[in-house]
Amino acid sequence: MPILTLLVVLAIIAVAGYVLGRRRAMASADGDMRKLHSLPSYYGYNAALTGLVPAALVLAVWTIAQPMVLQNNVSDMITTEVADDGALSLIMSDVRRLADGLDTAVAQGALTPAEAANMTAEGTDVRGTLADVGVALGSEVSQDVLGAAQAYRAGSATGNLIKTVLVLLIAIGGTAFALMKTTATFRARNTVERGVMAVLIAAASIAILTTIGIVLSLVFNTVEFFRLYPAMDFFFGTTWQPSFSGRGGASELGLLPLLWGTLYISFVALLVAVPIGLFAAIYLSEYAGPRVRAFAKPMLEVLAGIPTIVYGLFALLVVGPMLKDVFGGDGALGVAWMTGDRSVITAGLVMGIMLIPFVSSLSDDIINAVPQSMRDGSLGLGATPSETIRQVVLPAALPGIVGAILLAASRAIGETMIVVLGAGAAGRLDLNPFEAMTTVTAKIVSQLTGDSDFSSPEALVAFALGMSLFVITLGLNVFALFIVRKYREQYE
Amino acid sequence: MKDLNLTEKSHLMSDTKISAKGVQVYYGDNHAIKDVNVDIEDKTVTAFIGPSGCGKSTFLRTINRMNDTIDICRVEGDILIDGEDIYDPAVDPVQLRAKVGMVFQKPNPFPKSIYDNVAYGPKIHGLARNKAELDEIVEKSLRKAALWNEAKDRLQAPGTGLSGGQQQRLCIARAIATSPEVLLMDEPCSALDPIATAQVEELIDELRQSFSVVIVTHSMQQAARVSQKTAFFHLGNLVEFGETDKIFTNPEDPRTESYISGRIG
Ligand SMILES: Nc1ncnc2c1ncn2[C@@H]1O[C@H](COP(=O)(O)OP(=O)(O)OP(=O)(O)O)[C@@H](O)[C@H]1O
Ligand SMILES: [Mg+2]
Repeated sequence: MPILTLLVVLAIIAVAGYVLGRRRAMASADGDMRKLHSLPSYYGYNAALTGLVPAALVLAVWTIAQPMVLQNNVSDMITTEVADDGALSLIMSDVRRLADGLDTAVAQGALTPAEAANMTAEGTDVRGTLADVGVALGSEVSQDVLGAAQAYRAGSATGNLIKTVLVLLIAIGGTAFALMKTTATFRARNTVERGVMAVLIAAASIAILTTIGIVLSLVFNTVEFFRLYPAMDFFFGTTWQPSFSGRGGASELGLLPLLWGTLYISFVALLVAVPIGLFAAIYLSEYAGPRVRAFAKPMLEVLAGIPTIVYGLFALLVVGPMLKDVFGGDGALGVAWMTGDRSVITAGLVMGIMLIPFVSSLSDDIINAVPQSMRDGSLGLGATPSETIRQVVLPAALPGIVGAILLAASRAIGETMIVVLGAGAAGRLDLNPFEAMTTVTAKIVSQLTGDSDFSSPEALVAFALGMSLFVITLGLNVFALFIVRKYREQYE
Repeated sequence: MKDLNLTEKSHLMSDTKISAKGVQVYYGDNHAIKDVNVDIEDKTVTAFIGPSGCGKSTFLRTINRMNDTIDICRVEGDILIDGEDIYDPAVDPVQLRAKVGMVFQKPNPFPKSIYDNVAYGPKIHGLARNKAELDEIVEKSLRKAALWNEAKDRLQAPGTGLSGGQQQRLCIARAIATSPEVLLMDEPCSALDPIATAQVEELIDELRQSFSVVIVTHSMQQAARVSQKTAFFHLGNLVEFGETDKIFTNPEDPRTESYISGRIG
């Protein structure tokens, strides 16, 4: 049974469980609601949840685990010489493609199930047959891959059957069990409470597990990279020069120029965003009347809704040329600091503009959280509004504002599109902000775009870069949260 | 004879520190103060009493224009301090508030050290020429507010770390550090224990030598103990204003009598 059908059946069982549970409870109380421990609907929910939750859980785990287990089983059938784990995983993805292709062919009637299960690579033109039903395979199919694919298909067919039966049994069994327990004195309300908790825990775990999954995928590939490329050269290398033509040793993959570019551009961005954002927040929260605020706040937040690629275009087409007109060779100042449109300052300025609403709306919230009585105290002593802000409101809000700035910094560090378009592509260790530089994120993109061979250090370095970036931004975020939390304790 | 009469008269004139004429206060559509006329004397303690929500705090806040900070609040009528209309556009509310200090209903120390809390006003207004003078002002103010003994060893500790009653005394110290001419106190003792209350009452009595003090209180005993004049507010009206002794012993208005004897409130 396909998963969708299975889900529909589960839903039907749940609804039936609800209706039956409710009815049974009412019957056991002779139709008098007051004799029941809980409201009738709780008995219904109890029956529905007892059937649904365990079944859904088994279904989810099984669906995720089945391909992994199968793949493990059939990978022994591959007899071709494989260089390493990377090559093996490429072959395994061929196997899955082929298995899916056979499924499609059977579904369209190009092959009978028996043919699909018994065909051999020598006897049939597998590639041709599948091409006829619209499944394109990259290369000729060898016998061991075909065998693995057939085993894979067989395994997943049995697996799916067992899964369907098991899930349905659990659903029906659970519902029946709950119905059996449904009597007037049964504490359905408390049981439902536990069921609700289970659902909430499941939601929270998905979020956490995803994070762990992301980190793990980064870690494995990073470890793989460091096996091919020395860690010292990566962390302390001052040159970034990947070569795609040659293999291995020809590339120089030093993190420092990229990290420098990232930090430099982020610094420029914060230099723009923090004062402007903060002053805007102070104006809006302390000086502006309600009418100005009602108009200006949404206007400012529109900035936050602009896609970053648009900011990138703005950097490339407007800000870059404008800066070059001033600081370029035959520019207004005649200083010739800037040679191209792309530079640290171009990207930094535009990124700063992007961050203004971020800084201002966070700071605005934090400034508004400073109690009015604090302002009254200061104003009541004859302080002017700006003295009050400088000496009372801002110090009180400072930890929160620092937290906001750190959050903005971690956004700046992670920003990609503006950098790709505005800052250039050359990794460079230079102090001149009018020089083109590039950042970690931009290089991750360029290392993985196009035809990349996932076992070469040139591609794997992207994961090491991503991991470094992740650690840096995570550190910043944790630090920011720590500060923000400390600030909260002050008034509560 | 004539001369004496004149000085007598001018003395009488200067006796009135604050004069309110036909004051109306609105919060949006809510008419919170209705046509209040009152003359508050210099070097006197005036108590505002009345049931909760009758507008005591509101009227108090009109005297140093703290109501300006509330968007929806509108004040009509005249309030004169030393004969000068404080709602005149030429008057700088910031200057006014330096002259008319205020202690709020809820303690609101700044998130700064105890020392900096008290030194805040003097620093802003440049009242001290050097650190030594500032130290002196801080000590004197804390002593007057009966907080010195508890705070002298922890002047650099944050003011928000004090207990509620200590915070309130810190706010009193902060307000008198700028040596205002008028001190407005909104229930300054509501968070204090009897000993600290007695100390603050002593302070109020002392302040009377140099300032005019207006105090809002829910304690009849306190009003009777510290004030010379008492004003009774009810539903935004100033019902009765006069000598404290007279208000408490022989009120003219039946509402005043009911309130004092505990029948409305
Ligand atoms: N900031 C405000 N916004 C709107 N209405 C207000 C505001 N402050 C006070 N009011 C209203 O004005 C009226 C008088 O309030 P006020 O605070 O002056 O009373 P009070 O006499 O000080 O009472 P209490 O003894 O409880 O402190 C009340 O009806 C109150 O709801
Ligand atoms: Mg009040």
